[in-house]
Amino acid sequence: MWLFYIEQLIHSLPFFLKGLWMTIAISGLSLLAGTGIGFLWGILRASRSRVIKPLVGAWVDLVRGTPFLVQVFIIFFIFPEFGIHLEAFPAAVISLTNLAACFICEIVAAGIESVPPGQKEAATSTGLSGLQQLRYVILPQSLRVVLPPLVGQYVLLIKDSSVVSAIGVVDVTRVGWLTVQRVPQGLLVFGLVAVMYFVICYPLIRLSNSLEKRMSTGYTRN
Amino acid sequence: MIEFNDVHKWFGELHVLKGITLRVEPAEVLVVCGPSGSGKSTLIRCINRLEPIQKGELIVDGMRVHESKTNMTKLRAEIGFVFQQFNLYPHMTALQNVTLAPIKVRKIARKEAESEGRRVLEKVGLGDKLHQYPAQLSGGQLQRVAIARGLCMKPKIMLFDEPTSALDPEMINEVLEVMRQLAGEGMTMIVVTHEMGFAREVSHRVAFMDFGELIEIAPPDEFFAHPRSDRTKLFLSKILTH
Repeated sequence: MWLFYIEQLIHSLPFFLKGLWMTIAISGLSLLAGTGIGFLWGILRASRSRVIKPLVGAWVDLVRGTPFLVQVFIIFFIFPEFGIHLEAFPAAVISLTNLAACFICEIVAAGIESVPPGQKEAATSTGLSGLQQLRYVILPQSLRVVLPPLVGQYVLLIKDSSVVSAIGVVDVTRVGWLTVQRVPQGLLVFGLVAVMYFVICYPLIRLSNSLEKRMSTGYTRN
Repeated sequence: MIEFNDVHKWFGELHVLKGITLRVEPAEVLVVCGPSGSGKSTLIRCINRLEPIQKGELIVDGMRVHESKTNMTKLRAEIGFVFQQFNLYPHMTALQNVTLAPIKVRKIARKEAESEGRRVLEKVGLGDKLHQYPAQLSGGQLQRVAIARGLCMKPKIMLFDEPTSALDPEMINEVLEVMRQLAGEGMTMIVVTHEMGFAREVSHRVAFMDFGELIEIAPPDEFFAHPRSDRTKLFLSKILTH
C-alpha cells in the first residue's frame, strides 16, 4: 500500500516542483523588494525626522501586531471593495513584501542605532553630507549587526509565505493540500512539503550562524 | 579667524555657555582648560556646529555659524576636529580613514588623495601603518591617524577635544609631538587639554573656563605665574601639584 502511495507521489513530483518554484518566486521577489523597502524605512526610522519616523513606526507596529493571514485576506478580499483588484500572485507578493519590509525595518534601525554616535560626529566634522555619512560610515558598520538577524528573518519569511496558499496561490503548501486529496497519506505528503521548505531554509540558517560568528569578532582583517 | 560674541548655549534647562566672548587670530594656538563640565568641550564643538548655539554670534573664517542658513559643509571642510575617543572608522584602513573626506567632500581624485594621505601619515610617523585597521593600532597611533584625517582636508583650523585624555601615559608624548609640530607650522589651533606642559611651551594664550564662563585668558607665562582669579588659582593648584 505504502509503495503505491509513494509511486503516486513520485508521479506528482513535477507538480511539487512547480509549487516549489512558486514558493521560491514569491519569497524571492518579496525578500528582494522587502529588503530594499525595509532598509529605506529602517533608515527613516533611525532618523530624527519628526513626521516620518513616527509614521513608519506606527505602520511597522500595526503590521507586526496583526496576523499575516489577516493581512493577506485584506489585500485579496477587501481591496476589491475599494476598486483594487489583484490576482492572487501579486496580492501574495505585495503582502509578503510589506511584512518583510516591516521586520527588516526594525533590524536595520537597530543596526544603525548600534553605531556609536562618535562615528557620525567624526563624519559630520569632516564635512560629509548626511547621505555620504550613511553610505560610507554608518551603513557599512551597521551591516555587522544587521546581517545575521536579516538572514534569520529571511528564513521566517520564506516559511510565512506558506500562508498565501490560503488565497489560492499554488505554492508548495497548496500543492500539498491538493495532493493529499488524491494520496490520502498526510504524513507522506506534508513530509515532502516540509522537506522542500527545509531544503531552501537550511542553507540560510547555516549562513546566518556563520555570519553571526564572523561578525562577532572585531574589525581585524589581515 | 574665530570670533565668539556673547555666545550662549543651553542643554535643555542647563546653561552650559554663559556669554562667551573670544577672538582667536590666524596661526594662534589657544589652550582651553577647566574642570570637567565647565563647557570647554562644548565651546569648541560649537565652532563647527556639532552643537548649535542659541544666542550670540559665532563667526568662523568669515562664515556666520550661528545662522542656520549657513552652509556648514563648506566650513566643516576647513576645520579639522580631533576627538578624545579618536572616532576612527573601524571598517576602514588608516589610509582609507584619511582619504574618505578628501575624495567625497573635496572631490579630489583617489590617486591624488592617496598620495597626500600617505604623505600626511608619514608625517605623523605612521608611514608603515597605511593598511592597518584601527583595531590593529595603539591609542597613540589611533590619535595620530585621527589628526592626519583632519590634516588631509588641508584645514585652516584644527580643534582638539582632550586629544590625550584617553591615552596611556606613555603614548601621550607621541601625540603632543605631532601637535607641537603642527603649531610650529602656523596652524590655527584650539586645544582643550589638561596637558599644562604643552600649554606652557606651545600655546600663545591659555584660557580657563568654569561653569560655562570664560574666567581668564592670558599668555602662558602670565597665566601660570600670575593667575588673577581665585578659581583659576584653585584649579591650577589642583592640577599642577601632581
